Amino acid sequence: MKNKIVRGFLGMASFIGIFISLYMAFFYAPLDKNLGVVQKIFYIHFPVAIVPYFAFLVVFICSIIYLKTRDRKWDKIAYASAEIGLVIDTALLVTGTIFVKPTWGVWWVWEPRLTTSLIMWLLYAGYLMLYYSVDDIERKSRLTAVFGIVAFISVPISFMSIRWWRSAHPLMLAPKNIALDTPMWITTLVFLASMTLFYLYLLGQRIRMINLQEEIQDLKDEIGG
Amino acid sequence: MSYLRHILTLVQKDIIAELRTKEMLNSMLIFALLTMVMFNFAFGSGSAMRAVSSGLLWVAFLFAAILGLNRIFVHEKDENCFDGLMLCPIDRSAIYFGKVISSFIFLFLVEIIALPIFTIFFIQESFLSHLWLLIIILILSDVGVSAVGTLLSAISINTKARDLMLPVLFLPVIVPILVAAVKSTELVLMFSSIDAQQFWIDIIVWLRMLAIYDIIFALVGFLTFEYVIEE
Repeated sequence: MKNKIVRGFLGMASFIGIFISLYMAFFYAPLDKNLGVVQKIFYIHFPVAIVPYFAFLVVFICSIIYLKTRDRKWDKIAYASAEIGLVIDTALLVTGTIFVKPTWGVWWVWEPRLTTSLIMWLLYAGYLMLYYSVDDIERKSRLTAVFGIVAFISVPISFMSIRWWRSAHPLMLAPKNIALDTPMWITTLVFLASMTLFYLYLLGQRIRMINLQEEIQDLKDEIGG
Repeated sequence: MSYLRHILTLVQKDIIAELRTKEMLNSMLIFALLTMVMFNFAFGSGSAMRAVSSGLLWVAFLFAAILGLNRIFVHEKDENCFDGLMLCPIDRSAIYFGKVISSFIFLFLVEIIALPIFTIFFIQESFLSHLWLLIIILILSDVGVSAVGTLLSAISINTKARDLMLPVLFLPVIVPILVAAVKSTELVLMFSSIDAQQFWIDIIVWLRMLAIYDIIFALVGFLTFEYVIEE
């Protein structure tokens, strides 16, 4: 009952939040002087870049806790978070290429930030492949938990890539060089907050689905079907 | 001290088993050479080939490494030797380090044999003056490749897809090693044409990156391996 209320609240909040953010992006934030209307895609590009980092951090932490406690609950959170993180990461790569074509003139550049993001995507795609190629549930949870820890190496590398190597990608999260107007930043942060709520909503729904699937499987086994 | 002896005993077992069949060493070596020959057809010989030579050297080595890493747990699994290993009164991480060391030895051997052939094929003037530096690059990269590869090989042997799973998991994890190894090899190959002081600054950055990566993954493997092999 309590879970249902939380899920309902998260669903409503993320729906309204994304609606408001879209409104703010198009009507509240001023038009960028150099890039024009193309710059609007930044408001979605930035949150879908940050949320996967968070999602994969959740995978990493829950994988460690699973290996320590052997409580299936943590494994379910880790798996659901990896799946949602990968979907949002796909949105990052798609919005990135759409953004880059009019601003840099090409669809893709092999530079550190883009390359490390793609590698991160490939690693978590591998994570899901691993999850589906083991039948035994207990073994599946153990192996994916270990790989969830190994794959996390790509997250700090991707995050720090533009600080470590010279990159064409602009550095957004630096206190000293804020390249955006205050209204632009407010819009971005509202979008980030609603995207985070949306992630939490999807996470709750996905875990619920996994539980229901297992329940159905148990019932099937019971009647011998 | 006995921990070290346990590891060495396991390594000795792997080496004896390999020397009896030689299937892993032979196939890895032939595969590495074949890859180099194929690159020659793909890129043609000449200046284009020279420009990418350090990259293709490492791609050939990595492909050979995948071939070898796929095999390191196959015998254990198929002949039920895993049960024997698990019954041994030794620390589980000793099994991990034993496997890391034996796969390191096989990989290093293959590379040492393939390297002169590579030099003859692709690099006309020799780089023997900095051979020791190249050996350090080889050792540092192979430690990382074996540390990651052994852990992921143990994971993939437990899946339905088995050896199909290893490249999918292994290649993206190993990218930082590939980048550092290719860049530092490139520096060694062009040593004569760049400023000596700049050369040392650049190469130390890449070697340090390799070393940090090795330490991180040896630690990750040490801490997680027992969860992978437990039944």
